[in-house]
Amino acid sequence: MAQCVQSVQEFIQDSFVPLVAALCSEEAERLTRKNNLGFSELVKPFCRLTSEVHMRDPNNQLHVIKNLKIAVNNIITHSPQPGGIRKLLNDVVSVSQPTEGLVTNVITAGDYDLNISDRSVKASVPWYNNWKDTLMELNTSTFYSATTPWFESYRESFLQSMPASDHEFLNHYVACMLVVSSGEPEPVEQFLKLSQEQHRIQHSSEYAYPKWFIPNTLKYYVLLHDVSAGEEQRADSVYEEMKQRYGTQGCYLLKINSRGSNRGADEQIPDPWSQYLQKNSIQTQESYDDGPYTVISNKNADHLISDDLDNDIQDGLSNNFKAHPLQLDHLSDTSSSFDGTDYIKTTSSLHESKKTSSGTPHGACLTLTDHDRIRQFIQEFTFRGLLPHIEKTIRQLNDQLISRKGLSRSLFSATKKWFSGSKVPEKSINELKNTSGLLYPPEAPELQIRKMADLCFLVQHYELAYSCYHTAKKDFLNDQAMLYAAGALEMAAVSAFLQPGAPRPYPAHYMDTAIQTYRDICKNMVLAERCVLLSAEILKSQSKYSDAAALLIRLTSEDSDLRSALLLEQAAHCFINMKSPMVRKFAFHMILAGHRYSKAGQKKHALRCYSQAMQVYKGKGWSLAEDHINFTIGRQSFTLRQLDNAVSAFRHILINDSKQPAAQQGTFLREYLYVYKNVTQLSPDGPLPQLPLPYINNSATRVFFGHDRRPSEGEKQAATHISLDQEYDCESSHQWKELEEQVVAVVNKGIIPSNFQPTQYCLNSYSDNSKFPLAVVEEPVTVEVAFRNPLKVPLLLTDLSLLWKFQPKDFNAKHNGETKELACGNDMIGAEVIAEFLINSEETKMARLKLFPHQTGELHILGVVYNLGTIQGTMMLDGIDPSIGLQAGKFVYNGMSVRGRQELEIQGPRLNNTKEEKTSIKYGPDRRLDPIITEEMPLLEVFFINFPTGLLCGEIRKAYVEFVNVSKCPLTALKVVSKHPEFFTFELGQQFQLTNFFNQYSKTNSLFTNTKSQ
Amino acid sequence: MAVCIAVIAKENYPLYIQSITTENELKFHYTVHTSLDVVDEKISAMGKALVDQRELYLGLLYPTEDYKVYGYVTNSKVKFVMVADSSNTALRDNEIHSMFQKLHNSYIDVMCNPFYNPGDCIHSRAFDNMVTSMMMQVC
Repeated sequence: MAQCVQSVQEFIQDSFVPLVAALCSEEAERLTRKNNLGFSELVKPFCRLTSEVHMRDPNNQLHVIKNLKIAVNNIITHSPQPGGIRKLLNDVVSVSQPTEGLVTNVITAGDYDLNISDRSVKASVPWYNNWKDTLMELNTSTFYSATTPWFESYRESFLQSMPASDHEFLNHYVACMLVVSSGEPEPVEQFLKLSQEQHRIQHSSEYAYPKWFIPNTLKYYVLLHDVSAGEEQRADSVYEEMKQRYGTQGCYLLKINSRGSNRGADEQIPDPWSQYLQKNSIQTQESYDDGPYTVISNKNADHLISDDLDNDIQDGLSNNFKAHPLQLDHLSDTSSSFDGTDYIKTTSSLHESKKTSSGTPHGACLTLTDHDRIRQFIQEFTFRGLLPHIEKTIRQLNDQLISRKGLSRSLFSATKKWFSGSKVPEKSINELKNTSGLLYPPEAPELQIRKMADLCFLVQHYELAYSCYHTAKKDFLNDQAMLYAAGALEMAAVSAFLQPGAPRPYPAHYMDTAIQTYRDICKNMVLAERCVLLSAEILKSQSKYSDAAALLIRLTSEDSDLRSALLLEQAAHCFINMKSPMVRKFAFHMILAGHRYSKAGQKKHALRCYSQAMQVYKGKGWSLAEDHINFTIGRQSFTLRQLDNAVSAFRHILINDSKQPAAQQGTFLREYLYVYKNVTQLSPDGPLPQLPLPYINNSATRVFFGHDRRPSEGEKQAATHISLDQEYDCESSHQWKELEEQVVAVVNKGIIPSNFQPTQYCLNSYSDNSKFPLAVVEEPVTVEVAFRNPLKVPLLLTDLSLLWKFQPKDFNAKHNGETKELACGNDMIGAEVIAEFLINSEETKMARLKLFPHQTGELHILGVVYNLGTIQGTMMLDGIDPSIGLQAGKFVYNGMSVRGRQELEIQGPRLNNTKEEKTSIKYGPDRRLDPIITEEMPLLEVFFINFPTGLLCGEIRKAYVEFVNVSKCPLTALKVVSKHPEFFTFELGQQFQLTNFFNQYSKTNSLFTNTKSQ
Repeated sequence: MAVCIAVIAKENYPLYIQSITTENELKFHYTVHTSLDVVDEKISAMGKALVDQRELYLGLLYPTEDYKVYGYVTNSKVKFVMVADSSNTALRDNEIHSMFQKLHNSYIDVMCNPFYNPGDCIHSRAFDNMVTSMMMQVC
């Protein structure tokens, strides 16, 4: 389970607090409304007592209560609707999200580093007053790992929204405050009226819902006085009257609204309410969720105090704080327990200004003195009213029990022996039986002990509570009252845990039985869930992570996805927190949790869960799991409009050699294309996206310069060794290179110029690509790209063409310094487009793409652009070989295709010349795709006519050679070179009429060679 | 006799997975991955002292409807998982044991190859042949 901000003890204590009802007259309600608060909201931030309280237990022992908290609620006469609660819980969870880019916690578990994103602190632990201490401890301790604030919010809201039940009294009202304004014409009358109403609500059968602890509820009379509006004297006199009537212990005069509402704006007063109220009204959720909790620095606190004291003088200074009233929002909360010396300074406090709730501020009419008065009031109420009342009630109950025990233990057990089985305590038998066993009437004697136990529990007297629960448990079990027994078991376990000094180990089996009973016999999942939450937290605190995990997992069920998701996630955290972390279990349960989150509509949480699980599986070779997670992440990101994430997730599925069956791959591909389409629609002007498919074998790219040679026809045979259809032959190309060197040497009087480079028409991975190749204007450049389809589904590329960049340069002009960069412009370069290019499943296929340069300059071929699409997937599902239907040339478009590009990046050969190059890994450049377009050149085509295929030794044959210059440029100084010049000769005379461009040809080396003659 | 043989690294990622039928190889991925939890459980169940002198062969990890999964863990925590057809009743425990030992020897040969980086996926023809021979024996 993830770490929590609170300790377990605090969590449990705060889950069960004495409830006090508040009943206000309309006038009183109006007074508090001035502050934009109801009465119960008004007192809420002050409901924790800061001082210790003493109280005497039935044995007259002194008992100390520390840190007691009470809850004041308005009376609501209808029970909460399950639907409403569910919605509330859902909202609470969805609002609480981990903030991105904040602190991320890395848990190192075995060989995994798990990044668990984490909001540093939860903003709203209302009943938590020294959270800072704990937080600092957590931060410095090594145990500090991930927190899951959404889970804590959920748990808190869940426990608060629990409907009161008949079998336990913990959330029944112990007391009732009757609140009347001093401004009313007849305050005393009003008190009587309210008192009667309370009586009616409690005792008439009309209202089933607000449940009351004991029949004679404590009534506490509160006179609310508006200092700014009402007359003080009148209020005092009414208060005197009240004191006489109800006793000094039973009434209180609370003065509020010391400040006129009209001048609230220019003064800054902390607003301790915001954090409580935002919880209840989720409409301000964004602000609630925005960031970590603000912690004010000492400096600001000082400012605040000075502001308050000499407000009039320092108006200018206080203006600084006008913008962010929430910055200081928890001052009163903390000042109740801190003297302001140990505030943590955070830099983030200033950012909090944006957190300012959109609504009107709370407590506008209250000064700090008023805050103190309210705090004083609550303290007074608890000390003088509530606790004595509870003490008295415990005493009474105890007396009752002792008397009953004396009777029942002796007499009753004796009779039970004789009439065993017939003993159904003091009630008619059958109508009260239901599935969960027996139901007692509200005032049944059996319940009195439970009542006493609950009261003891509420005032933190856990020893007494435990023994009472224990006794009650036995009674209930004897009566087969399963619901009651489960309740007693649950609380017995909790109070055993909370006993100071831990005299007995935590009875986990009590909890187990309770959970089982709640769930299986009583069919009450809410109670079972509460039990699990408590027990898991306790087990966690005792490092029994595997037990906690088992407990949490056991409660996941079909009926609530949200709950299951949260519990599974906590279970996953349990697994990772174990002494030997179980990483795979963590991932597995995270995925389960993510699944449930997505079913519950919590997309963000689902995505987060999957992403966390992904960390475990990423790159580990478990491709099935990885595919599944990636696919889900892709889908969830897509629904959350995080398109980039979605695209990259889907990309992962497709590019890692997928072992999925064809149908599945088809689905992945379609989904990917769909997402991609959405991305491109969002930003139609953006650069074309990179497509992951099909693969391009970069090094197999071949570049061919020049026209396709006219094919041989009849006796005419093209005299060339180079075409794209030919395989590269190392030996022959070397011979050609030698010949070329020889002829160049002859022309240059025996010296090969230093900048000489052999002519290369076709560049491939074997040729020397270190220099920029030359291409000629108006002659095509053909690029052959090797595509490979890794998938088991065919891919259809449409409108396939090359992507290039061209810098026009005039090589004749002297000042070619300025070069314009133009990425496109069809007048300079013409590009051929292949309309349809189909690659079958797992096929490697070449595509030849041509460019026609129309200007001189530098051309850079960057990549290919195409529409990636699929063909109708149904064919695959039928098991028909898709290639049969497709070769016929009839493609069934799926309609789904996206425009994208892929870059051609060719890695040059590894350098291995110098020592440095040998010791490091360096690659030379490869300029295959960066031809320089030069101005027009002559282009010679040579054909043999009637070239002999076989010769006898000594035989002489005549063969014709046709030289054609296809270019407009004149061609001069034609030379013919041969390895064996003595083998043939030119028959002078007739050829020259063919063309008049040949001014000269060399006789010396003029011999043919071709492949056959070797 | 075995339908799938897998070698899993100490850090629980697959070094080598080979199955008879390639089309539902992913199903074996799943089976093998699931078995890792059982392996972990079996190892952690043993005491610290026992781990050093334990039997490498873990025996039957778990049976499913169609398959039986056997496990073997080397001293360096490399796991061998073998999935056998459960209809094959002739296969006895000591045969499985000896198969694992053969596999282990073959794995050691792979490790002895100076060009093999421990932790990389295994691409070795000798190992391939060895594994195929074990899968072919009966089928």
